[in-house]
Amino acid sequence: MRTLRVIPTVLKQIKRSPIRSSLTLGGIAIAMFLFVMVESMRSGVQEATEMTAGETTLVVYRENRYCPFSSRLPQYYEDRIKQIDGVASVVPIQIHVSNCGASLDVVTFRGVPRDSIQHAIAKDGVIVEGSISDWKKRGDSAIVGSALAKRRGIKVGDLFSAAGIDVFVAGIQETSQAQDKNAAIVQLPFLQEAARKGGTGTIVTQFNVQVENHNNLELVASSIDETFAHDEHPTSTFPEKAFVGRAARDIVQLAEVAGMLAWGALAAVFALVANAVVLAMRDRVRDHAVLQTLGYTGWLIGWMVLLEGAIIALIGGLLGGLAAFLTVQFGQFNMTMEGVNIEMATGPSAAIMGVVLALGLGMFAALIPALRLARTDIATCFRAV
Amino acid sequence: MKLLPFEYATRNLGRSPVRLFLTVFGSALVVLLIMVAGSFMVGMQAALDVSGSQKNIMLLGAGSVESVERSEVGMDTPGIVAGSISGFRTRAGIEGVSPEIHIQMPLKVGDEDRLVLIRGVRSEAFLVHDQVSITSGHAPRSGRNEMVVGKLAARTLGFNDAKDAIDTTIMLDDDAYTISGILEADGGIVESEVWTSLTDLQITSQRDTLSCVIVALDSAKPSDLEMFAASRIDLELVAISEDEYFSALSKFYKPIEMMVVMTCIMIAIGGMLGGFNSTYAAFASRVREVGTLQTLGYQRGAIALSLVQESILSSSVGAIIACGIAIFTLDGFSIRFSMGTFTLSMTAGIIALGIGSGLLLGVIGAIAPALRCLRLPIPEALRASE
Repeated sequence: MRTLRVIPTVLKQIKRSPIRSSLTLGGIAIAMFLFVMVESMRSGVQEATEMTAGETTLVVYRENRYCPFSSRLPQYYEDRIKQIDGVASVVPIQIHVSNCGASLDVVTFRGVPRDSIQHAIAKDGVIVEGSISDWKKRGDSAIVGSALAKRRGIKVGDLFSAAGIDVFVAGIQETSQAQDKNAAIVQLPFLQEAARKGGTGTIVTQFNVQVENHNNLELVASSIDETFAHDEHPTSTFPEKAFVGRAARDIVQLAEVAGMLAWGALAAVFALVANAVVLAMRDRVRDHAVLQTLGYTGWLIGWMVLLEGAIIALIGGLLGGLAAFLTVQFGQFNMTMEGVNIEMATGPSAAIMGVVLALGLGMFAALIPALRLARTDIATCFRAV
Repeated sequence: MKLLPFEYATRNLGRSPVRLFLTVFGSALVVLLIMVAGSFMVGMQAALDVSGSQKNIMLLGAGSVESVERSEVGMDTPGIVAGSISGFRTRAGIEGVSPEIHIQMPLKVGDEDRLVLIRGVRSEAFLVHDQVSITSGHAPRSGRNEMVVGKLAARTLGFNDAKDAIDTTIMLDDDAYTISGILEADGGIVESEVWTSLTDLQITSQRDTLSCVIVALDSAKPSDLEMFAASRIDLELVAISEDEYFSALSKFYKPIEMMVVMTCIMIAIGGMLGGFNSTYAAFASRVREVGTLQTLGYQRGAIALSLVQESILSSSVGAIIACGIAIFTLDGFSIRFSMGTFTLSMTAGIIALGIGSGLLLGVIGAIAPALRCLRLPIPEALRASE
């Protein structure tokens, strides 16, 4: 019980040096804010690019092309892909973006044939406003992803214009898939004609292929590439998530660099807590001597030091973690590159992990000063005064 | 006011080697962080802050003003433009009308693909883009599969010294290209591009259209081009000045740039807070010493000045160490990104920023604890523990 009763005393000790405590807390909060933001980005990238078991979608792209503007495949490849063993369905897709570079809030248009709309809607996709039949009725209609609609304030019935394309909003799709909630699905012939000078006729950007058995994913991919290897437009076929990782390589690279920043932020938390605790210990030698005289054991004083480190780190971690969590929640940040979208993970896991790590690091940073103090006898403490 | 001798501040530094080490190390770390963040910001902004010439007008495909890579213009457009409008820049009978293809394609380096913006040009391009010059080798000759690489593009391809790239053979799609020269453009975005012959690139990329036609104005006015684009609706063109195009492109990259700027600022603030924490702790515990100095007759201002001197000495040593590390290990470090390659340059401005933040850390880090020490009455200060 005594271990808990010392908590108010520890809090008073933290409050005794308001300037120093504020500096430490500010530093920890900023470090944890950065850590949680980076972790949210890394989780988003991981979720979008790491293959999961049971994946059955392949993306067929023009070989040696990365940008949707330069990947041009004849639409008639659709029939030839359908004939390959193991292929369940093929959807020709035209992708249109304002720019291939990496940025936030880029609108991606996906043109799909009218009859393939069911394959283009996300597996967990629900049309929350409007309907697919409305989409089919108008050539220039679009089904807009919920995140894109929220960001741009789009409602069903609105006329929406981006990247040189004007569309009528026929529906809003609610889904958890980053690729779908940030894109606008339009009819393929409309996009082919609207996107390029004189129309692109029967040219598409890519084919999305569903395979019958997920175990045959690689086999079907190589069969597709072999089929067109000596054609005018050779192809490169990838599982969907590998394709996203390839297309968004800058964002993946950015996440890797940011990963170092996250380690740096953790090191900063450790250094700040360790510095604060060590300096506080130096100032409080007399206090500890008095506490020992009053009957506090060395281990109890050590525990108080450990608690001080933990409390400082916890408060700083909570401030930074909460601020980062709210920023990601309200910001709904979505990075786009080469027409693929990667969203910052909005779940609380990064913030929780950040707070737990800050707490652990705070205790770890205070451990050595706490142990040293616990082993110091009363006479040594008084001699140090 | 009688000042404390300067030696008092310098000798004090050696009194506690651990404290000196912590302060110097802390300030070096803070200054290094600020310098890296600053040079990252400046490098990125410089790469994006590409102002094209107001005298150059781009003719792009209608609806493609946001990206030249998306644009498509007919192969006959340059001839029609040259025949319809007069007053373009002319040298030795060559008119400043440059048909160009801009395409991102991977160049194979070893087993790895390096994505670079490739520009297919004819010789007129060097007349239109007069800031571009070939500093080594020669311009790409048509039909020879030759390319000139920008200074930064050479780094992307793995050549630290751009000249080493000359005569190297690189695969573009399925065609082998030879690097024939190095181009420079006063640090502009062109330096992260690769230029090759228009015809060769058309064959390799299987393109039968241009990305744009860029014209250099002499006596002609931008409105002439706008009128031309508006009247020739069959060509589906739009005219925009190079300057306007690049400022729109900068706007596209703004959110990412802002994200990087905010992160850099936060790192700098976090570093500063950590630094203040160290210096504050180093001085705040010297209450009794300050009391003793007051007893000896030194005024508060003189004591504060001495503490600031001491703090500045230690933090500036840290700042100099940080500048050394930054100059010798980080200067010239290149970062690849979709808008091009940019380098961390430890320019005079960045070094001034580093030294300035070191001095600021020293001043602010000493003033706050000095005030705290000096606020106490002398008897109370003398009773305080070290």
